[in-house]
Amino acid sequence: MSVAFLFPGQGSQQVNMLKGLPDHRLVDKTIDEASEALNESAILLDSETNLQSTVAVQICLLIAGVSSARVLAANGAKPDLVAGHSVGAFGAAVIAGVLDFQDAVSIVKQRGEWMEQAYPEGYGMGVVLGLPEQKLGKILEEHLSQGEEVYYANLNSKDQITISGTIRGIKKVLEKAKGAGARKAELLNVSVPSHCPLLDTVSEKLAFALKNIQFRSPEVPFAGNRTARALRDPEAIKEDLAHSVSHSVKWHQATSLFYELGARLFVELPPGRVLTDLSCHAFPSARSVSVDDSGFHTAQVLINRVKQPN
Amino acid sequence: MVGVKQVSSKNHSWTKRRDAKAERLKNVEGISSGKVIPTDRIIEALESLIVPGDRVSLEGNNQKQASFLSAALNKVSPSRIHDLHMIMSSISRPEHLDIFEKGIAKKVDFAYAGPQSLRIAQMLEDGKVTMGEIHTYLELYSRLFVDLIPSVALVAADKADKEGNLYTGPNTEETPTLVEATAFRDGIVIAQVNELVDELPRVDIPGSWIDFVTVADKPYELEPLFTRDPRHITDLQVLMAMMIIRGIYEKHEVQSLNHGIGYNTAAIELLLPTYGEQLGLRGKICKHWASNPHPTLIPAIESGWVESIHCFGGEVGMEEYVRARPDVFFTGKDGSMRSNRTLSQLAGQYAVDLFVGSTLQMDQDGNSSTVTSGRLAGFGGAPNMGHDPRGRRHSTPAWLNMMTSDDPLARGKKLVVQVVETFQTGNTPVIVESLDAIDVGKNAELATTPVMIYGDDVTHLVTEEGIAYLYKASSMEERREAVAAVAGVTQVGLKHDPKRTDELRRSGIIALPEDLGIRRTDANRSLLAAKSVEELVEWSEGLYNPPAKFRSW
Repeated sequence: MSVAFLFPGQGSQQVNMLKGLPDHRLVDKTIDEASEALNESAILLDSETNLQSTVAVQICLLIAGVSSARVLAANGAKPDLVAGHSVGAFGAAVIAGVLDFQDAVSIVKQRGEWMEQAYPEGYGMGVVLGLPEQKLGKILEEHLSQGEEVYYANLNSKDQITISGTIRGIKKVLEKAKGAGARKAELLNVSVPSHCPLLDTVSEKLAFALKNIQFRSPEVPFAGNRTARALRDPEAIKEDLAHSVSHSVKWHQATSLFYELGARLFVELPPGRVLTDLSCHAFPSARSVSVDDSGFHTAQVLINRVKQPN
Repeated sequence: MVGVKQVSSKNHSWTKRRDAKAERLKNVEGISSGKVIPTDRIIEALESLIVPGDRVSLEGNNQKQASFLSAALNKVSPSRIHDLHMIMSSISRPEHLDIFEKGIAKKVDFAYAGPQSLRIAQMLEDGKVTMGEIHTYLELYSRLFVDLIPSVALVAADKADKEGNLYTGPNTEETPTLVEATAFRDGIVIAQVNELVDELPRVDIPGSWIDFVTVADKPYELEPLFTRDPRHITDLQVLMAMMIIRGIYEKHEVQSLNHGIGYNTAAIELLLPTYGEQLGLRGKICKHWASNPHPTLIPAIESGWVESIHCFGGEVGMEEYVRARPDVFFTGKDGSMRSNRTLSQLAGQYAVDLFVGSTLQMDQDGNSSTVTSGRLAGFGGAPNMGHDPRGRRHSTPAWLNMMTSDDPLARGKKLVVQVVETFQTGNTPVIVESLDAIDVGKNAELATTPVMIYGDDVTHLVTEEGIAYLYKASSMEERREAVAAVAGVTQVGLKHDPKRTDELRRSGIIALPEDLGIRRTDANRSLLAAKSVEELVEWSEGLYNPPAKFRSW
């Protein structure tokens, strides 16, 4: 049995998500490191106003995930596998020992800025529930062939898929999806069309920027967002971090692979419980906990129990 | 004879295999003491006994796993041992595929990969595994005696003595088959055992077939795979079970059968002592079984329905119950059950009247598959039982009942029943226009599409709408109409002309519940002879000892 750490992506952010972290020297240290890399006070980023910007959201998610995992590790609760959803993958890479936290902060900041600048208006994302992937795929293909820019974004579970593109295109696809029997199909409050070819230029910039950053071999397997493979090669992880922003995130497959690799405890780092809900549903015979919901102590006890049975 | 050169055998060795084995055995003289390899030297021993490119048969099926030996194989040095050709019934543990990632193994022949089905699909795509074939159990076992003869077999048993005699108890499963194929062609057989004892309760495999035994660090893995909690059986499954008992078992007088692992078949088992009894069918149907010792069979056994059960394998928690019912189960002198997967599969293929199973997808011709996109689950044993073995000669009432012509050479047919709800959870239709398996087969470059049960073997399709008696269809067109008539509101079902339904009912090609005298409102869980695992324990007079995860009290 092994333990998988899951780092959430955008959508999981909460106001005061950094200020709400436990009073622990490693949390303070992590926030200080971030402030130093950013050349501004990181703790201020989690205000309601600041979280209007995707840049602050992404940085806050990175800090929350990494500092929480560091607190758990200090109590011997370490993962056997790591995965992060979208920007969460940077936190996963840091905890796997692949890149330095401060390097991750700088690159995530740039990632956020480039994403924000890419499409100032008219673009976004939508979510479809309860329609099989192939059916939605056909609808997307139809619209793409008619010249609408609309693509798969995240394959979160068998019946939860997000799409990215122009608002106009997304609306059309959502309408069709409802007609085809989707339980729910709605526009998300997101202004960046993430995880589709519209962000190819962001990937190119990221790949260029990452060239100068040192990557080490992961201490535990790292789930690639783009390929849903368990990556062990630092160059492959670098490539995945650069290109996942312009490719769909195969979350369901990546976590299914972890389950096949023996993961029976899925621990979602703060903030929130979005990924916990997905794994609860996908792997009823495994246990999924959100650190935010269950607390650090419970998470730590459960992790140590898996590591040292009896 | 012209053109045939008579080769003198004087300089030709006919004992190359035997000599090679003797050489290998010499390598472990300093490691083993007699036949016993010390637990902490198993990796070293494997490195000395196995050579690169060997064909290695690793025991592991959907129940019993040689988990100590597979973990040890995963730790050998890839520079010493590489490019092995693995033959495994089931790829179910992470290390079964780790050995491919490390290069210890290269090629695989297997029957089932359900628990690793995504990963093996990825590894095939990435070129990390070379595919032999995906087999059914019986085909894989058979090929061990033809062109996949193992150089080494790694198997699991409960106990051994110093002479290498093995006791496998209720979980004999395929161990004798794997050992026989290896031992009698000068391969090397290594058995992991839970304990080494002076005297065995009984000998399941003789010591002269075994080269080495090693005591595992912990008992081999055993999955309680065939335990179905009656709590999860739905009213709809009760309805379908009633239709099957009435419209198939009673109608065709089905006396011998195999049941799979699903809740649908568990529902049938739990309705025999109630609904079946009301119909006066005890002693007339369901007397002889080739199946695992399903806990849900306990009420039927206790009510005197079942005369015999031969088992593929054991089931965790059923040991004492089986031991106390030797008139029904196959048991050894020591009292515990004897299972044998090969022989039970053979019995399920040739000797039984009927197979009933469930599936994830069926097309309009009745072909079905459990393969879904991106996953390569394999077949296991269902296709062995879920087809009509055309070599069969002996007759039974049910088999003869499938004859549809007066031709003097007409013969009967095995009943192959597929039972499905038209939709899975999440709005996914089960009856579809085209199987996902076609794309999966193409992507994995398989020689044939991985179809679980071929449509032309399916005699009956049961859904919540009714039964389609496909064997009666006189043309492919009529067969499709019959499938569509019970396909509900799936795309396939919606294309069906409801006017044809009445004609199909009149000609007996389909039957709705009311045609079988079943009221939908009667079909509910209160009919189940046991509604929980706790009640199964009660039925067994406390002999059934369910695993902790099935205990809710």
